[in-house]
Amino acid sequence: MRYTRISASFIVLCTYILTTESKLSGRQDSFEEELLISPLDDGKLLTHFQFTTLVELDSSKEKQGKLSHYGLFPKAIGQVINHHNVQELHLTFTQGRWQYEEWGYPVAQSAGTGVELWAWMRADANIETNWRSLTNTLSGLFCASLNFIDDTLTSRPELSFRPEGSNNSYYHNRHMNEGVELRYGHLPHENVCTENLTPWLKLLPCKSKAGIAALLNAHKLYDTNYHSMAIHILPVCQDDACTVQKLKLVQTVTSVLDPVRDTGRRDWSLTSLFDRDIPSYCPVSERSSVMVRLPAQKESFQLSPNYEVITGKKQHNQKNMAYYDLKKATEPLNLQMTWDEESFLYPAEPLKPGIVAHKYLTGYGHERGGVTVNIFNQLNDSQEIDYFDSVPWYLKLYLHTLKVSVLGHESISQKDIVKDMYYQPAIDRSRPQVLEMKLLLPPNSVTAVSIEFDKVFLKYTEHRPDANRGFDVGPAIISAVVPEHINDMAANEFNAISKHTDMEALSQIKVYTEILLASLPTPDFSMPYNVITLTCTVIALFFGSLFKLLIQKFEVVEDEGQDQQPEKTT
Amino acid sequence: MEKSLFILLLAFILRLWLFNLPAIANTLATRVEVVTPITSFKRLTEGLYLYQHSVPPYDGGIFHQPPFLLVLFNAISTLPSSVIPIVYAAVDTYIGYLLTIITYDKQRIYEKFPTLQVEKGKKDIDPWTVAALYLFNPLTIASCVSKSTILFTNLSIVLSLAYALKGKTIHSMLWIALASYLSCYPAMLMPPMVLITYNWAPHQLSLGKQVQVSAMYFVSSLAMLLIASYILTGSWDYLYSTYGTILCLTDLTPNIGMFWYFFIEMFDQFRNFFLVVFQLHAFIFAAPLCIRFREHPIFVVIVLSGIMSIFKSYPSIGDAALYLGLLPVHGEIFKYTRYGFLIANLFLYSATLAPIFWHLWIYAGSGNANFFYAITLVYNLGQVLLLIDVVYAMLRRSFDIANPQALGKEVIQR
Repeated sequence: MRYTRISASFIVLCTYILTTESKLSGRQDSFEEELLISPLDDGKLLTHFQFTTLVELDSSKEKQGKLSHYGLFPKAIGQVINHHNVQELHLTFTQGRWQYEEWGYPVAQSAGTGVELWAWMRADANIETNWRSLTNTLSGLFCASLNFIDDTLTSRPELSFRPEGSNNSYYHNRHMNEGVELRYGHLPHENVCTENLTPWLKLLPCKSKAGIAALLNAHKLYDTNYHSMAIHILPVCQDDACTVQKLKLVQTVTSVLDPVRDTGRRDWSLTSLFDRDIPSYCPVSERSSVMVRLPAQKESFQLSPNYEVITGKKQHNQKNMAYYDLKKATEPLNLQMTWDEESFLYPAEPLKPGIVAHKYLTGYGHERGGVTVNIFNQLNDSQEIDYFDSVPWYLKLYLHTLKVSVLGHESISQKDIVKDMYYQPAIDRSRPQVLEMKLLLPPNSVTAVSIEFDKVFLKYTEHRPDANRGFDVGPAIISAVVPEHINDMAANEFNAISKHTDMEALSQIKVYTEILLASLPTPDFSMPYNVITLTCTVIALFFGSLFKLLIQKFEVVEDEGQDQQPEKTT
Repeated sequence: MEKSLFILLLAFILRLWLFNLPAIANTLATRVEVVTPITSFKRLTEGLYLYQHSVPPYDGGIFHQPPFLLVLFNAISTLPSSVIPIVYAAVDTYIGYLLTIITYDKQRIYEKFPTLQVEKGKKDIDPWTVAALYLFNPLTIASCVSKSTILFTNLSIVLSLAYALKGKTIHSMLWIALASYLSCYPAMLMPPMVLITYNWAPHQLSLGKQVQVSAMYFVSSLAMLLIASYILTGSWDYLYSTYGTILCLTDLTPNIGMFWYFFIEMFDQFRNFFLVVFQLHAFIFAAPLCIRFREHPIFVVIVLSGIMSIFKSYPSIGDAALYLGLLPVHGEIFKYTRYGFLIANLFLYSATLAPIFWHLWIYAGSGNANFFYAITLVYNLGQVLLLIDVVYAMLRRSFDIANPQALGKEVIQR
């Protein structure tokens, strides 16, 4: 009898422990995987992989906003953000350039060539150390040169960036912006390759063994026109008052593939694109889906296997999506799409996506130059944008040469366009210049922002090994909140259907300009010894001669032909 | 009198005319031979722009000029833009006028000095010739038209010299303090200025007393200027941004001096050592020259100005214009110089080739940095030879005056 009581209580205890355990061990974690495939207007094919992990944050006072238990959420990332007091983190590796005029706006906003890292960090005394340590840690984690984002490349944008977490907390929930500071760094000259993808895949619960991540074949993924791999970590609110917060980890891979390049036709299948099919869904995922954006009605095509059609909920978003739920699938999924056409004809008209920008260098020679950014507003309304540009210290900007003008409308004064401005001058070898402006673009206009700079003469040790290649200068970033229909190229549809629309405000866009290559004057790298010798010779000549003149006295040579004459020195 | 007015007017009008030729004025304003990072008018404009738009101008790597210039040009910028050329032309012409006064005073003082037999009865150099030599020196004109702010340093030095010759210790020290405040190096001109007042002032003080009084004036004026600057800018940031740049050479933009390429090419671990050596080297000549030429302190000022123009960290042709303008004040020593032809050729050679080699390196890409470096070396060699030559000439002439019996005999140095 007694024995049974003990055993009964033991069972109760065990059950209790087990339930608590399962709660702690992250049963509350959730994981979702999605793949969006969208044919683009110029025959290319956009594939966008998105993996979302949600985990509840500790709400107790002393561990506010910290993670203590790991289930599906990768511990490597959790520890990094805990240790460095990071509230929100965005890291993007991009290869190639997103063609806004041909492809519209990207699904994931960060699209600047190279590596872009920005983080909202809790503002305490150690923030600088934390940021340095964060870049170094991430550098090790992703096998990238992120450690080169040092003080000379780090900037603190004031106007352009907002915390993106908790359904765009900045707009809904201002207090989330308090006590945090933004750090932004960009490495334009960074090649992205498999060594970055491998650690990225390891963060996924199913790695690349199951689910749509199985398609991520590095051999095919990097043979593309554009490739971007990102990791976003942001807190999201679960209610309006934001009493319960979850931490969300969004991992994305965006590629633009070109089926037309090989065959002249737009036909594609998963095996032709990735050499693989999708074997099954990832068992821990709550949702696992593949979506294909269907072309407009007038075009005729076949898509197999059979699909479910979803229509966009939004009024102006009537395009249809083919939807595959992998959890219901019984056999490996190999999508195939064929078009009823002999060969693909390129469209004559480029897209007019609304707001695009191009940046280029002006001037010639190694002494000075200028940067001009042309911002195209193709909307019929005037549009307010935030302009952000961080220029490295070795290009010395002259703010008094800044000109903002509307091409063709010289009568519009600079004051009517520039609504607000923030400028931080550079400090040699320690800080970049940051130029931010709020601009009001007139409808259907081209606004030119131009500024002059001097090129700095660097010490010979400060040049890269390939000194004559030049230095890469990061892109200018234009962010704007546009009417929703402007941004319906890809992102909107995806977000409208996807359950978690809170990663970005639907109508916010970011436009990245080209990165630039500025050639700086180079010294002769073989000369150090010669220069030291020659310069010191001139100095010694002066010092020696003057010293001699000052300390020696003149004397008359009394009688010629005597002993003194042979000893005469000059 | 008519001649003097003519020279000044012509110089003034010539400058204004050149200011009105944008091709010349704009080109000169960007030439590395003429403007340096610490005297560039473009950077002054940038600093002023930042200052007027409440961005701290010294919190950045672009503006390295003292707050006094900021305030001065802030005041000028409220006037029409044509005032700036007039200010520059007027200041330069005024320097020319001051040179005549200095020459008059020097000749008045040196009347009592013994001279050579051959010089007896001969007139000294006409003070207006000295002014004309300064005002129509192409280096002076180029420097002025480029709106280089070295002009204000030169003005302060010349004013200080003029006041010292008049025996006005306070004024002299105030102006030399301003010159030191503007570009740091003129601080080494303070001892010869003290010597001038000590030697020739009407109210004679003992040397110790004179040094004490002068040093007090100098230090207190300098302190006042620095404190006023602090009040104007609201922080001490300007100290590092102006004098830090001059002394630590943070900006390696080429100029005609010897620092830039040396420190571009310098190995990092020896950088500080050579920086200290080079900067000390520029200053060490003040004491020995003052001792050796204690009878001729004006000459010490000239030689030290020359040393500044060679060995300062950011020299420009404006520095050379100053000492070349002052040299004719001691015109009597020219007959003892030995390398006139060589030096003239070195100057012409570098003046011709510097722009060409710069173009080859920076624009054409068919030359490299060594080309321009070589030509700055030639230019500095010319200046070094010139300084050595005038020092020799001064000593040799003094020797001949002291030893008239040695005339015609061979004289050696040992």
